[in-house]
Amino acid sequence: MSVIAELNSLPLYLICGAIIAFVAVICVVFIVRAYKAGVAMGMDEKVLKRVVTSSATFSILPGVGILLGVIALSGSLGLPWPWLRLSVIGALHYEAQVAQAAAEHAGIGTLNPEAMTASAFATIALLMSICIMWGMVLSVLFNRGYLKKIGIKNPDQNETSLNKKSGFGDMAMSAMFIGLVSAYIGSYIGSFVSSDGLFSFRGDYLPLIVVFVSGLVMAIFVYLSEKKKKAWVDNFSVAASMLIGMTSAVLINLI
Amino acid sequence: MKENRIEYFEKYNNRTHFLGRVFTVLVLLLLLGAPFLIGAVLGAMPDLGAVGRGFLSVGLIWTISSVVEFLIYTPMLGAGGSYLAFITGNLINMKIPCAVNARDMAGVKTGTPENEIVSTLSIATSSLVTILVLALGVLLLQPIRGFLQSPVLQPAFANVVPALFGAMAYKYFRGNMKIAVAPLLLMSLLFILVPSLTGSTSMMIIPSGALAIGISYLIYRRQK
Repeated sequence: MSVIAELNSLPLYLICGAIIAFVAVICVVFIVRAYKAGVAMGMDEKVLKRVVTSSATFSILPGVGILLGVIALSGSLGLPWPWLRLSVIGALHYEAQVAQAAAEHAGIGTLNPEAMTASAFATIALLMSICIMWGMVLSVLFNRGYLKKIGIKNPDQNETSLNKKSGFGDMAMSAMFIGLVSAYIGSYIGSFVSSDGLFSFRGDYLPLIVVFVSGLVMAIFVYLSEKKKKAWVDNFSVAASMLIGMTSAVLINLI
Repeated sequence: MKENRIEYFEKYNNRTHFLGRVFTVLVLLLLLGAPFLIGAVLGAMPDLGAVGRGFLSVGLIWTISSVVEFLIYTPMLGAGGSYLAFITGNLINMKIPCAVNARDMAGVKTGTPENEIVSTLSIATSSLVTILVLALGVLLLQPIRGFLQSPVLQPAFANVVPALFGAMAYKYFRGNMKIAVAPLLLMSLLFILVPSLTGSTSMMIIPSGALAIGISYLIYRRQK
């Protein structure tokens, strides 16, 4: 049996599937606990249900994108391992990069299915796990102390916390997110303008068009929600904006 | 009544930290044990020397990135949300925007118990849906593999993240243009002048975010 055939064998599906199933159980435990706690603390059940619905719809499209990452890696690492990596802890932009570096150090040069050996695979798999585990390690060691230092308000502040003008903490978090989005949009602009030579304007323009189209569609959804009082569109606005933005990439590529 | 709610939330929060730690340690053990178990099935163990060399070349960068992510995202996500997010991954491209979107939709403020509940619900749901999508995808992979990998669709999937940030940019920039203009201009200029920085975009979030926070602080002080 070839190494790739072994990497797609039943025992590997069972090992990876069992770990994924365990993480799914953890998610269910946290959903049930948070929902019950929200109700017990007097939060509106309609709001809690909308949070669940919108988070689910929000995640479907990126989930399909991640599935493509699984498919992309399955050629050289088999299907079960990328399935595990991208279901648990992994990140789309991380896996291929680390797997490639690991392949070099494991002595097979590139992520080539024909060059893959059992030992190289085990080495790649372990390095992929070690490189990305630090967020979890920090969480175990410092999450509680860090959050305590920053401070979560007590529920007796609820009456004001939902209605009062927000404090700087909230503004700072929104600002951080604005900074995050700015960095990525800036990178798309920079790629288009200078990736093929300074101010050559010959780089990839598709990401910029997609940003524009999905932003435009989002503006329409916000208009429908706020001006036309169709609040239900909030549940699907981000996912639908993304879908239309992504479709624009396909259409423009066909032209 | 108020006392009961304080006590209830404190008990809930303590239990969240306990469960979060236990589950995280268990998942860590499973993830680190899996390569050895798979190695045993395949009849070959990992080369620990190669793992060490590989860690020194790429692992240190990801370790620094993990520290930054921990410091930035933990307060944003709260206890339950951050334990889950670090277990399930895909933070920037999915969990963070999802939690921020849920927070805004529910109208809750960062650092409040309501945000703790909403963030946990949002990230747990998002993680579960991702697991289900991937499981279903892997199950149905043979029939849909050709369709999803068709060259015509590739530009769509290559642009998932721009599509996400386009939608989120409209939501966040429109009420906060005073905060957004400077980091957007600065980042665009930096990436135009040093295009090789696109390979380190996640690191550029730090100066961009710091600038945005600095401007928002000035606005906050002026409003007070």
